[in-house]
Amino acid sequence: MKYQPSLPEHNDNVSHHHPVREFVILIFGVVGLVVISFLILGLFVDQAVNYISPEDEAQLFAKVDLSGAFGDEESSTTQELLQQLIDSLGRCHNILFPLTVHLIKSEDINALALPGGDIVIFSALLKQLPSINGLTFVLAHELGHFKNRDHLRSMGRGLVLAALITYFAGANSDVSQMLASSMTLGQTKYSQSRESKADETALDILNCYYGHVGGATDLFETLQQEEEGSGSELFHYFDSHPEIQKRIEMIHALSKKQGYQVGETQPLNDHFAIQDTL
Amino acid sequence: MENIAVIVILVSLGYFFGRMAENKHYQSIREREQAFLSLPTTSTKKPMGNIDHISHVQLVHGNVVISVDYFKRFLATLRNIFGGPIQAYETLLDRARREAVLRLKESCPDANQIINLRLETSSISKGDSERIGSVEVLAYGTAIYHQDSNAQAPIL
Repeated sequence: MKYQPSLPEHNDNVSHHHPVREFVILIFGVVGLVVISFLILGLFVDQAVNYISPEDEAQLFAKVDLSGAFGDEESSTTQELLQQLIDSLGRCHNILFPLTVHLIKSEDINALALPGGDIVIFSALLKQLPSINGLTFVLAHELGHFKNRDHLRSMGRGLVLAALITYFAGANSDVSQMLASSMTLGQTKYSQSRESKADETALDILNCYYGHVGGATDLFETLQQEEEGSGSELFHYFDSHPEIQKRIEMIHALSKKQGYQVGETQPLNDHFAIQDTL
Repeated sequence: MENIAVIVILVSLGYFFGRMAENKHYQSIREREQAFLSLPTTSTKKPMGNIDHISHVQLVHGNVVISVDYFKRFLATLRNIFGGPIQAYETLLDRARREAVLRLKESCPDANQIINLRLETSSISKGDSERIGSVEVLAYGTAIYHQDSNAQAPIL
């Protein structure tokens, strides 16, 4: 027996397919699977939300304090005034289920509608808004979300998405991060349409309460000034709220279409002693 | 949006640098394998040829640790969803095995043959998803030196 040294002509221990080809096939496969499952389950969520009445919702979330997650609550006369305002706005548009306002100390200019009938108002909003009409529009916008059941939709869809991503790609992998980010981008258009719908309801409520829609764009003009100051105009396309300028134009167009008048606005300080309480 | 950009950058960097390093490594493996072609290396337990001519034997080993790049790890995670051969890791293990054997041979360039070659593989990260995975391959065997070899007998 003679030992004959030689090297193999081919390396049969490795595949010779291009890895990028495999990568593209797999990534399209997994994204496609998640997108299709999410579209189907998202429709189920939308249907299920229609069967959850505000009373059921209040019962479901009675023991959950979601607003507490955003910061300390400001218990003040301002909060009581906001509560009175939201109650009157609800009556104006026949939204009769109980809603609770939570005034939270925060530097963010924002307001949120949470499941269980809670509306969170961040204190910076009251400091920045020039008129009571502007504040009324923001509250009416949140009321619009409740009326359209958007808070339940977004929570339901969020849960479905988290479950799908965890099922397919595990809890904390690079693939799950990539899927979560890309699916959030994919949801942008859906969220924007829900925001526009809430703006529409808000405009109706504002007109019903004051008899005109003056101050409807106050918040967006304030945000626009803030943004011009900071100079960050990147990634606008991906905001869940339609681009600010577009949104202002849309509100103007809608009020024109509905034949709403634009009247005088009243300064916010006449109603709330903001600087003292916050 | 920023998250996706970060992942795309990491995957691209992993792909380009990983592929560059891999090609370079394969080139070096091929050249060194050619250079050591005349050193017979087998997994047999008994030496080839006349055992009366053996001057001494020696335990020799070579080991290597190779890390997986971000692209390969991402690709392997995707493959885990659907199942099938994880091609991304095949070259990693192939390189590690061949490099370990080469290091073993380089540790005894004057040996006449190496017998009883064994290979052991272990994962450094032990499946911890938070850490980049890396693989260790250890090759060990018995180097045989013939009497007419120029090699010095080891001092025991």
